[in-house]
Amino acid sequence: MATFALKSFTGLRQSSPDQINFVSHVPSSLSRSQRRTSLKVTASRASPKLANRSLRVAVIGGGPAGGAAAETLAQGGIETILIERKMDNCKPCGGAIPLCMVGEFNLPLDIIDRRVTKMKMISPSNIAVDIGRTLKEHEYIGMVRREVLDQYLRERAEKSGATVINGLFLKMDLPEEWDSPYVLHYTEYDGKTGATGQKKTMEVDAVIGADGANSRVAKSIGAGDYDYAIAFQERIRIPDDKMTYYEDLAEMYVGDDVSPDFYGWVFPKCDHVAVGTGTVTHKGDIKKFQLATRNRAKDKILGGKIIRVEAHPIPEHPRPRRLSKRVALVGDAAGYVTKCSGEGIYFAAKSGRMCAEAIVEGSQNGKKMIDESDLRKYLEKWDKTYLPTYRVLDLLQKVFYRSNPAREAFVEMCGDEYVQKMTFDSYLYKRVAPGSPLEDLKLAVNTIGSVFRANALRREIEKLNV
Amino acid sequence: MSLSMALCSPPISSPLLNSTLTPKILLTLLSTKRLSLFSLTRASSSDNGTSATVSATTVEIPKPVSPAKEEVPFEKEGKTDWDSVIVSEAKRRKWLEDSPETTTNDEPVLFDTSIIPWWAWMKRYHLPEAELLNGRAAMIGFFMSYFVDSLTGVGLVDQMGNFFCKTLLFVAVAGVLFIRKNEDLDKLQGLFEETTLYDKQWQAAWKEPESSSSKK
Repeated sequence: MATFALKSFTGLRQSSPDQINFVSHVPSSLSRSQRRTSLKVTASRASPKLANRSLRVAVIGGGPAGGAAAETLAQGGIETILIERKMDNCKPCGGAIPLCMVGEFNLPLDIIDRRVTKMKMISPSNIAVDIGRTLKEHEYIGMVRREVLDQYLRERAEKSGATVINGLFLKMDLPEEWDSPYVLHYTEYDGKTGATGQKKTMEVDAVIGADGANSRVAKSIGAGDYDYAIAFQERIRIPDDKMTYYEDLAEMYVGDDVSPDFYGWVFPKCDHVAVGTGTVTHKGDIKKFQLATRNRAKDKILGGKIIRVEAHPIPEHPRPRRLSKRVALVGDAAGYVTKCSGEGIYFAAKSGRMCAEAIVEGSQNGKKMIDESDLRKYLEKWDKTYLPTYRVLDLLQKVFYRSNPAREAFVEMCGDEYVQKMTFDSYLYKRVAPGSPLEDLKLAVNTIGSVFRANALRREIEKLNV
Repeated sequence: MSLSMALCSPPISSPLLNSTLTPKILLTLLSTKRLSLFSLTRASSSDNGTSATVSATTVEIPKPVSPAKEEVPFEKEGKTDWDSVIVSEAKRRKWLEDSPETTTNDEPVLFDTSIIPWWAWMKRYHLPEAELLNGRAAMIGFFMSYFVDSLTGVGLVDQMGNFFCKTLLFVAVAGVLFIRKNEDLDKLQGLFEETTLYDKQWQAAWKEPESSSSKK
């Protein structure tokens, strides 16, 4: 573990596995994409074939998004350059990946430090609910170390033919004419020139911005801002006997004391636990929330030593513009973090891959120049595939993270078997699976009942206050 | 009869049990440790006559009560007194909201509000409010129909046949249901905006801003 960083926003990706899927009928987004085609004016010119060379694409940022994008590009025959500023960056992150990611990205099983198969949800009044009974033998949530995962994906990209450069992207000159290249300005660190590195420029045809929540690529293209949450995490090494409790169990604490619009967590890592919390609206109180989280878990982490403190912004919704001409944003830079659970690793990698696939296809394996319409295909595909997931999670966040009674109802609902099954199905396999309508109806009734009861108790509490 | 935790430690972890053990709640409450908080709450609600049998100081002393006459918490005349269960849970939650406690694995809290039957909730919360709202609706309805009758001469039965009157009726009912305080108007407006905000943020990528036609 490298430097103690409370450097501003080194990167905390909060990924927690809990999602609940109630909705079985989600409106298709096809009508929207039809509308989109009527807005788009770009005549897709017959893009010229590139003489004597392949398409050159730069991927800025070497995290899951950048690594996945670079690999797919390189495999597609495109000249790929991956620029990463810190090769051993251990980004502060929940580190949870769904099961489908292991399969889809062919991750070796030794990358996964722990397999979480149980979760505990703890309500504001300390009612604890165990989740995970419905998981089958082979199902789990994988906990990874970001530095290990990122390095692996980058190496694979390199093996496929990408050039990996250790450098810091500074800025980008936008092209004058439609077929001029983008000029990237970056500082290359190559060990020989010492810590300051050497300023260099590079000309590329297209850029994929995978440089995270504080993306400079996004700034260069004027992508706009997003609301973001601050996630704050402390890594705590606890005594071995306490560690056995967290062997394959993660905890989620909800409550006004822990966070007004997010949750506090205790996630097991390789040999320690990460205790953290996050918030969007009350960023100034984050330390207070962290203390409250530690207090709630006090018994279980007593005697632990804090080995690292870290924080990072988490985007709450996509940037207003996710692409511009031949520059596209993926991953955190685009803002593809789900609400409610704050999951981002899988979506980053998947979006990197999808964007790269769109480029490969649009350029016919690197032989033709691409233009904005090819990148728009990636956005279309992404929105069509994942917007329902994002919408459902947003709905859950709106309904269940509002207030303490809502959180109590939430935790109560999590005790239901059907809910657990739907949640894990949708989390592990990333599909908004329609359940049986009868069960959904029962679930809806139970939800309303829970919310009603929790609010009734809240009224009782208010009566007691008088 | 029951040993309670010492009063000095805030008695928070509730021995109330999981919904799967609902029928056994009375028996198990008998046998498990019962925290003095509940005995205190029972005592304090004795004004409502709900806990005539529980003394205010069931603290640490096993009282020599004959088995035939066992004191069951939350019981009134042989049936469970759900009202006091609700009140106790509310007190527990209030306590924890004011001063959050650590969770422990030794005494996990497993209380599920669904063990309290639906009619207990209805009786305590829904019915009084329903009475209030129905009263309001009836008053509004009566005077509106009188008013319309005096203005137009159309009697109540004929009013019901008219489309405009039906609409007014619908508006009155919806108004009584949803707008109970002045703040509710703003709240409803905010809720509506909230429901559409996330979608708008996602659609932003598809809206071309007028100023940057060069993007095309």
